[in-house]
Amino acid sequence: MTPPPVLTPALADFVTSHLSIHIAASDARGIATLVRGLGCRRDPADRDRLRLLVAGPQAEPVLRCLAANGRIAAVFSEPESHRTVQLKGRDAGPCAPDAADAAFLAPYTDRLVARLATLGTPEPFVRTLLACPVEDLRVIRFTPDEVFGQTPGPQAGQRLSAGSAVP
Amino acid sequence: MSPALTLDTLRNCLEGIVPAGLATCAPDGTPNVTYVSQLMYVDPEHVALSFQFFNKTRENILANPHATVLMMDPDTAARYRLSIRYLRTETAGPLFERMKATLAGIASHTGMAGVFRLRGADIYRVLAIEAVPGRQLPPPVARAPLLPALRRSVDALSRCRSLDQLIDTLAQCLERQFGIDYQMLLMADEAGHRLYIVASRGYASSGAGAEIPYGVGVIGVAAREQAPIRIIFPAAEYAYSRAIREQLEGGELAEQLEAAIPLPGLPDPSSQLAVPVLAGDRLMAVLYVESDQLCRFDYDMEDALVALCALLGPSMCALQSEALDDDGTPALPAQPPPDAAAPPLRVRYFDQDGSLFLDDTYLIKGVAGSILWTLLQDHQMLGRCEFSKREMRLDARLRLPEVCDNLDARLILLSRRLEDRQADLRIEKAGRGRIRLVLSRPVSLIAGSAQAA
Repeated sequence: MTPPPVLTPALADFVTSHLSIHIAASDARGIATLVRGLGCRRDPADRDRLRLLVAGPQAEPVLRCLAANGRIAAVFSEPESHRTVQLKGRDAGPCAPDAADAAFLAPYTDRLVARLATLGTPEPFVRTLLACPVEDLRVIRFTPDEVFGQTPGPQAGQRLSAGSAVP
Repeated sequence: MSPALTLDTLRNCLEGIVPAGLATCAPDGTPNVTYVSQLMYVDPEHVALSFQFFNKTRENILANPHATVLMMDPDTAARYRLSIRYLRTETAGPLFERMKATLAGIASHTGMAGVFRLRGADIYRVLAIEAVPGRQLPPPVARAPLLPALRRSVDALSRCRSLDQLIDTLAQCLERQFGIDYQMLLMADEAGHRLYIVASRGYASSGAGAEIPYGVGVIGVAAREQAPIRIIFPAAEYAYSRAIREQLEGGELAEQLEAAIPLPGLPDPSSQLAVPVLAGDRLMAVLYVESDQLCRFDYDMEDALVALCALLGPSMCALQSEALDDDGTPALPAQPPPDAAAPPLRVRYFDQDGSLFLDDTYLIKGVAGSILWTLLQDHQMLGRCEFSKREMRLDARLRLPEVCDNLDARLILLSRRLEDRQADLRIEKAGRGRIRLVLSRPVSLIAGSAQAA
């Protein structure tokens, strides 16, 4: 019997709702590294999978680790509410961006810019942080198999069972 | 590590303005990533991360101390990866208190007040710093450099020949050289574990004589820990006026504290910095500056004021002992006698706590009260107006502490408090090592027996 997918519709809606993203991977020596994610969407080919957008030159150490072992951790945080979840997976790998990924980047950035503007973060700052020439765009594809609530507080870090509400 | 890329040049990224990311790795190779509430500069080779909750990050670093931080410059959006190695956790002491205060600012800035509670400051060694490629904004327009301001201030302070002049020069330098609008200088009362304001600028009233106990608010914590405390966001729990009020409401300290002189200070400062003023290992004073602007005092400003205070402390010490040298200058021509026809100024003194009232209005208490009472008694009985600091120091009636009596600082406080009250009674300098009592009305001295209401 296959376990129920971790990526429930509610969780998928949350992690694709234009959040702040960090992505980590670790090498064979047990040293983890990380990069900022530029966007996240569901993989149209496999609804249990996510596609994370990153800037290739920035993500180079992360991509190298993922190519070697596929183990990924990604944290998604909603700036206004600090609602945060961390997803983990074991099948992560880089793949070439398709036209839809490239088309997806700009609107995603616009949404995050608007979000952070309400918190007083200047637009040029956010645009610079998330800037990526199309030719540098890379995609990390993975199936989340664990999810942890990470909203700041004593409950942070607790594993969420499949289907439980995003904290 | 590239020679130009050092923690010292990246301190802007360590202010907690933009949250950093932290990646750790479990013993089985599983990565973990979190946001870090606070990443703090410790020295050129170490950073501290706030430890607030027991979680996977905690578990991981205890098992595998290697981690990576991704931090951002809050102005240019430049990114840096720090390879770090966990060393230890501090749960008390100056570094912990600095982090706790900073975290309180970050918490209220991010709407997390009441959620963040610092359990420890995790100290990490920085093994490598890597600039992450990508677009950056141009750096902001540089503000006026601090080194020339520091040099001019140091020059001015080292020319001072009295404690009084030193205190005024300091205030002037902070205003003119550093553009600081709100400031106060508080002298330490070591025996009483409290500080009293001796000078301030920027407020409606000087607050000379108002007290803050060690450990309360930014100022009190800086005194207790003998470490600078800096907060660049509003942090309600460190607004010292509020903290004092709460402690007073608590009752226990209420009896010991001077509450009759209201504290000056911004009600909700956006930036605060308190710097201890030391002479050797002895706390002389605390310099406090505040602003209604966010992020007004950065690491460099803290460095500049710490350097300035490093000169201030020994200077205070030296000028206080010099102040006792009596050069025997003959008394100036007698002051015009008080107007005998005027109604006498009623001076009531309570021996238990040295509190002193002028015409039934509270003036001061403690050592400063005892000093004024003694001078007035000698004036009344012996007709004296001038007193040498040397004889005062030996006078048991003054109740000066045996060590570190701070007589000079207390006289300055007394004269400023009298000035604030615009009393018909002043204390002024009368040559080197001497002071003069100036009265424009006759006085009537009343030794109170019961505690003043």
